[in-house]
Amino acid sequence: MMSIPFFGVAAAFICVFAGQRGAALVLWALSMAALLVLFRLHATDPLNIVL
Amino acid sequence: MTALINAPTSRLLNALGLLAVSIVLIVAFVDQIVLGDLPCPLCLLQRAGFVGATLGLALNVKFGPRPSHYAVVILSAFGGALISTRQVLLHIVPGTGTYGDAFLGLHFYSWALVVYMAIILGSAVMLLFDRQFAPAEAGAGTRGGATFGLAIVALAALLALGNGVSTVLECAGGLCPDNPTSYLLLPGGR
Repeated sequence: MMSIPFFGVAAAFICVFAGQRGAALVLWALSMAALLVLFRLHATDPLNIVL
Repeated sequence: MTALINAPTSRLLNALGLLAVSIVLIVAFVDQIVLGDLPCPLCLLQRAGFVGATLGLALNVKFGPRPSHYAVVILSAFGGALISTRQVLLHIVPGTGTYGDAFLGLHFYSWALVVYMAIILGSAVMLLFDRQFAPAEAGAGTRGGATFGLAIVALAALLALGNGVSTVLECAGGLCPDNPTSYLLLPGGR
């Protein structure tokens, strides 16, 4: 599951080489959405700081 | 000032930027494979931020510079910066521990934040030069420059794929353990 952003962007690179700019942008957007979801799942511990 | 950088120059600068970010990912790989420093989950997500930024740079190299491609770079770097900021804050209080080895006095998550800021700053500076977006110049470029650029794009693509494979080996199909000590899918763990 942690590898989704990497494989998503790797697929976007394939689209870049194939000349499919729009598909590359869609795959990048999905990969970044997955990145943020994974970040949310891992950012569970409270921060021991005072802001 | 805005006429200083045309499309071919912009493509070359983007290719050099792509090479620089690729070197960051290569250094992380060397630290992982040669020095045995397994990346934590937040470290992996920061690498994904860099990989996202490389895609925007690659789009500029392959299709010519566009503001939307710089947006891809900036948004990816911003996402990565959020994650590295979180990790810096986790360890910012003295005595709360660190993760991994320091490199030139800073831990990798601190370096990541510095590099993300540099990527965002560099992209913003590049956006100042309007002439690179002129339609007549968009397809311009030299054969040698195009070959160099595409070679760097291929390197960045391999790094994205390599990070995906490495992450599968380390974490299998689920979420990574917070403090990984071995590769889940490799016999013997190394």
